[in-house]
Amino acid sequence: MKKVLAVALTAAMGCSLLSGCSGGGSTGGAAVKQTEAAKETTAAAAAAETTAAEAVDASKYEVTEPITIQWWHALEDQYSQTVQEIVDGFNSSQDLITVEPVYVGNYAAVNEALVAAHAAGTGLPAITVSNTPYIAEYGAGGLCEDLKPYAEATGYDLSDFGAGMIAATSYEDKQVALPFLISTQVIYYNKDVADELGVTIPEKFSDMDEYLEKVSIVNNGETERYGCVIPGWDQWYFETFYLNNGVKIINDDQVTTDLGSDEAVALVNKFKEWCDKGYIYWANGTDASSIMRQNFIDGKAFSVSHTSSLYNTYVDKCDFEVGMAWLPGGDTKNQEIGGSAILIPAKNDQATKNAAWQFMMYLCGKEVNMKWATETGYMPTRNSVLTTDEGKKFLEEKPAFQCIFDNLDLINPRIQHPGWSQLATIWKNYMAEIMIEDVDIPTMIEDMVDEIDEVLGDA
Amino acid sequence: MSEVKTNSHLERDLAAKRKKKILAVAQYTLAIIITLFVLFPLYWMIVSSFKSQEEILLLKPTLWPHEWHPENYVNVFKRANFGKYYYNTIVMTAGILISQMVTGAFAAYGFSKGKFKGQNILFMFVLGALMIPIQVTFIPLYIMCANWGLADTFLGLILPECVSAYYIFMLRQTFMAIDDSYVDAAKVDGLGRVGIITKILVPMCKSTLITTTLVTFTNGWNNYFWPKIIAKNETRRVLTIGLAQLKNTFAGQSTMNNHEIMAGAVMAILPVVILFFIFQKYMLTGYSKAAMK
Amino acid sequence: MEKKTSFKPKTISALKDFACVLPAIVLLVIFTYYPICKLVQITFTDWNLLNDTWNYVGLKNWIWLFNGSGTKHLLNSLRVTFLYSLGELAVTMGGGLILALVFNRLTKTFSIMRAIVFVPKYVAMSSAAVVYLWILNTDSGVLNYLLGLIGIPAVDWLGQRETALISVLMLTTWRTLGYGMMIYLSAMIGISKDYYEAASLDGATGFQQFWKITIPLLSPTTLFLFVTTFISSMKVFQSVDILTQGGPYRSTEVFVYKIYLYAMEDFRMDRASVIAIAFFVLLLIVTVSTFKISNKNVHYDS
Repeated sequence: MKKVLAVALTAAMGCSLLSGCSGGGSTGGAAVKQTEAAKETTAAAAAAETTAAEAVDASKYEVTEPITIQWWHALEDQYSQTVQEIVDGFNSSQDLITVEPVYVGNYAAVNEALVAAHAAGTGLPAITVSNTPYIAEYGAGGLCEDLKPYAEATGYDLSDFGAGMIAATSYEDKQVALPFLISTQVIYYNKDVADELGVTIPEKFSDMDEYLEKVSIVNNGETERYGCVIPGWDQWYFETFYLNNGVKIINDDQVTTDLGSDEAVALVNKFKEWCDKGYIYWANGTDASSIMRQNFIDGKAFSVSHTSSLYNTYVDKCDFEVGMAWLPGGDTKNQEIGGSAILIPAKNDQATKNAAWQFMMYLCGKEVNMKWATETGYMPTRNSVLTTDEGKKFLEEKPAFQCIFDNLDLINPRIQHPGWSQLATIWKNYMAEIMIEDVDIPTMIEDMVDEIDEVLGDA
Repeated sequence: MSEVKTNSHLERDLAAKRKKKILAVAQYTLAIIITLFVLFPLYWMIVSSFKSQEEILLLKPTLWPHEWHPENYVNVFKRANFGKYYYNTIVMTAGILISQMVTGAFAAYGFSKGKFKGQNILFMFVLGALMIPIQVTFIPLYIMCANWGLADTFLGLILPECVSAYYIFMLRQTFMAIDDSYVDAAKVDGLGRVGIITKILVPMCKSTLITTTLVTFTNGWNNYFWPKIIAKNETRRVLTIGLAQLKNTFAGQSTMNNHEIMAGAVMAILPVVILFFIFQKYMLTGYSKAAMK
Repeated sequence: MEKKTSFKPKTISALKDFACVLPAIVLLVIFTYYPICKLVQITFTDWNLLNDTWNYVGLKNWIWLFNGSGTKHLLNSLRVTFLYSLGELAVTMGGGLILALVFNRLTKTFSIMRAIVFVPKYVAMSSAAVVYLWILNTDSGVLNYLLGLIGIPAVDWLGQRETALISVLMLTTWRTLGYGMMIYLSAMIGISKDYYEAASLDGATGFQQFWKITIPLLSPTTLFLFVTTFISSMKVFQSVDILTQGGPYRSTEVFVYKIYLYAMEDFRMDRASVIAIAFFVLLLIVTVSTFKISNKNVHYDS
């Protein structure tokens, strides 16, 4: 029996391979047809856009019939009540549109689901959140609807959003998304300990040595208190150190990286030195995020670098006073936008898009935005808010946010490149390996640069 | 028999007996230790699922909960939509099971009792499919299903898994062992193919059918790879994926939610474990039967 | 005349028999054979899921895989997958055999213990994996606590290159030990007592009996386990997805996970496809060669 089976399997394999060759032709035909269909839809969309640009016909963007639309979001369980209140608020404010919120998963899961649905052309949400670094890829791939005609037709003022935020949600000269829940990198620190030791978070990267030595407690090579925890699972948390110290990450030619430059190598060596001394902890791997937070809460880390959106969580969980500071800078002290933007997939039909736009105006409106800002750690996105009573009240409740408000102009858009997320994956993997394992740093950096250059060149 | 044992004989016997006893004790001890080791993760899962968050974070873990928190289970249902995951998993598993049984029984009949040209080649064609796992073909399969609008639908979850070459193979082997005279007699009685399959063949190989079906059921219930690809959002999420996602769902709200995640894990395996103890006889032989073929 | 009437029902009967297998065949063509052809086609394109269109690029992806920056990843996945497979094989076959000897007693207690040892096979991998995540947790996991009691400092099981794959294998061990045991036990029961009695008369010790009789007579079972475990272990995905996500720094990036990453995270369908085909060919080679060995080296008890 076994022999027969073996022969049968081999024969069957042969068959399948043969049929593979003969079947290939016809499948190719089907695929070509598909792409043609896709082209037609994009052509139609393009045509629609040009007419819109010629004369904004407001009636084209009106919602005339009852419609139910889906909103994909990445807001975890802790936000579910806020989500429901906001959606209910919108649904009851008018009669035509009913919004259904769908929790898809984290940002990566939303990205996966959205791109897949876009490729298939079916199952798209009417409106969805998206993590900020994906916007460029989406823009290049034609995934998002240009929102400018909608704003013009409905008289929606885009200029009230922070300039950096608008830049971060544009691709070329299209407004492909709007800022929704915006955050930036900050350093949370144990203010009680800081007061006790009389230290402040340094303004300059070059002052980090002294500061880390002061706040870390290392006994015989065993760290009792880390000076700082750097999240190694997302390069967003350490890329500003590079950008502020003369590293561009992607060169002007758009196809090479300067992560192998002297400045970049110097930064790597510095981080490695601190890791070796036990001053900083490079958090990486499964559960890294919760381990990092737990260390901070337990007082085993003096400070952590994290997103400003978790401010409320940190304050709630810690039994000491939590301080929030701007990251130490270099030649510049710029920072990058994080969190999520909100967009409308271009492959939806016009009625769905119109309804989605109505909901988007509401979501990004001043009132809802302030609700988010007060109930979570996300930032107000509008300039006009900052000077109003609401803005002042906000600062009274969360004085730690002063450091962000002071530096609002320094928050920049993310690097926009279609190959960015591939680059990021490679980069953070190499960084973690360099920081945690005992490896030959120059060869690692060389390998990393080769790999990144290849990805950028092929993007 | 009648000869009297000498002293030395007796001593040797005693020594052998003692040796046997020591061996038996050693075997028992070893077996119990291994069993406890295997049992521990299950025990830990159940116990942790009833602890409070403070308790799971204790530096010195507790073997038994200080106080019981059955509300962890309620919390998981409330916050993570576990009810929906259950529903989705049940429908998906039932769909896969029924379609594999129907296509499998008919194909097995055709390949064992039927006669037609190209029978052997087609059977090899079926066996060849065993060699092409979904982990290889999922990219085009996903695009195809998505283009047909099957993403996040039950059809999308079920269709690519509705034929199992393994199932066909197992049933065919069993059908072949049944004498043709039964089939011929049934034909004389005027029974059609559907009748022969459902009334004659299937009842005659109940035990294979039950074991194969149980294996198919657990595989369906524990299915992970394809649902992860095709059902990306909440509407058609199944238990296995929902459970793996709990960590994300609960992320941020606090640092560690392992008590609630454990509650989810317990709920996800409950039906299969209950089934295991009901059908223990079949479950235990299920895989070894496959080995014997 | 007669011939014709006797011929016709036969054809109809054959058609009906054919109709019985048709649904299965059609579905297999659509959901298994067509996709694999399509996959081959994608390897010759530059298809990125983000873009609406794609072009044929000839052998570019193949060159990338075998003579470009993809080679490194291919070799890494090859290494990790084989290491994992080796581990799973050792556990299922070696561990299974040892457990079969330990649990080889026909009492009620042992039958209950056997059932317990076998249960993990039926526990969903995702449940098992989240439990292991919790047990292996560096700071509050119970494993590190127990190790701490005997003076071993806490290990970052899933965060280090040296231990990540071992941690995945721990989970595998837990799930498959009982399975290997069950398969061996049912084969051992099938071995006729006559062999052992004859050997006893010849004065063979228990160990000799095991080595000279049990092992050779179990070889069909061993082979079955070898072939099926080898092939299924190469398809490992779920435990890696939940425990390590391929990390730290690619040390657990098995084949299927790598394909998944390229396809669903980078959306590089071109590269994912070319690795998928390479993986498929590897599976074929493994299957065919293990079957070949099986026909040469197995003792059949017939």
